[in-house]
Amino acid sequence: MIKFHPTPEHLQQFVKGTLSPVESLMISAHCDMCARCQSRVEMMTADYANTEIEQAVQSYDPDFDAMLASITQQPAAERASQIKARRNSTAIELDGKTFELPKTLHRLVKKKGNWSSLVGKLWQAPVDLGIDGVANFIYIEKGGTVPEHTHRGSEMTLVINGEFSDGLNDYDSGDLIYMTGDHTHAPRSDAPEGCLVFSIVDQPLHFTSGLARLLNPFSHLFFR
Amino acid sequence: MLVGIPLEHENSAIEPKECAVEMSQYLIKVAETRCKASFSRVFGYFAPRLRSYALRQLGNEALAMELVQDTMSNVWQKAHLFDSEKGSPSTWIFTIARNIRFDMLRKLQSRKEDICADDLWPVLCEQTPDQNETSLDEQVTLDQIELLFNELPEKQKVVIQAIYIDGKSQQEIADELDIPLGTVKSRTRLALQRLKGMLSEYD
Repeated sequence: MIKFHPTPEHLQQFVKGTLSPVESLMISAHCDMCARCQSRVEMMTADYANTEIEQAVQSYDPDFDAMLASITQQPAAERASQIKARRNSTAIELDGKTFELPKTLHRLVKKKGNWSSLVGKLWQAPVDLGIDGVANFIYIEKGGTVPEHTHRGSEMTLVINGEFSDGLNDYDSGDLIYMTGDHTHAPRSDAPEGCLVFSIVDQPLHFTSGLARLLNPFSHLFFR
Repeated sequence: MLVGIPLEHENSAIEPKECAVEMSQYLIKVAETRCKASFSRVFGYFAPRLRSYALRQLGNEALAMELVQDTMSNVWQKAHLFDSEKGSPSTWIFTIARNIRFDMLRKLQSRKEDICADDLWPVLCEQTPDQNETSLDEQVTLDQIELLFNELPEKQKVVIQAIYIDGKSQQEIADELDIPLGTVKSRTRLALQRLKGMLSEYD
């Protein structure tokens, strides 16, 4: 059962579109796996649309007539053909095992690098998201342990398949786990099938640079 | 700028629920008949509201108008993706605007993350059936094909059976039937065209 969910504040920011892309990706993937958060997001979206659009003060612009005329000149979008020529892969494989990914992460299959073996019973495959942090699929075989560590910035981990424990808690498929410098832990999996997680560790050095913040008027929306 | 002063007819007396029903009907008309009059009602209602949302979000009139334009263009072009079962017109239109805003800000900041709004909120993606639905669809289609296959002319049936059921190559079939390869190819093409035509009638 899923025990670890994003906070209501995070869900709210996700709905508004003000959360960072990386956190939004994690929340979107969590919602693929978590019916509870998915329905919360739907409700929040309807509420937010109601206050932000339906109840909004109307703001007219003299250019609206021209805009309307130019839009209705445009053709309708072509509808996608019934049969998709080629469906992208929706699963990743390791050592003969196949792991189906949540929908949001399907696009990552193409961006995944090769699996490499870390210290005993740990496997890692990087995902190139063009982010300043590092994104990885990590697979812990049964009995595998990640050496105890803490986090310089923050770490987000989504359990995709299996179970693991870290001395603080037990985690199951669908759990979304936030870790910061305050946490020290040593993840370990004793599940027969091991455990596949998707993890993003950010490098806050770059993000908290005062200069970048000053230069960028929108930074408060993305940088924590 | 005339904030809050309606330029044309305004439905302020109408309850939100009725308004949602009304707007849904306009959107459906736009989808079905490209009805410009219906779209102008949708535009008249939502554009001023979107503009005030966009101004609050972006704090810049030019950007705000760009957001309104992109959002309403999508509504016009992709009205067929609106589904009143899933939510109200204002929710749908908000999600389109929210996605465009998200990508606008990414571009303005020239952020290099390869994560765009469509990945996070696939509002305007054509519905792709999930795996269970697909297999059901394919099942139905296979049943249909079997029925239709029996209606093919005998010569075409033989070729299609050999290729798609027995897994033979066109050359093998030409050799077996002692006919030119070109004939096998044209029979295959004709048969497939015919099946395709029959399937679309069947739908």
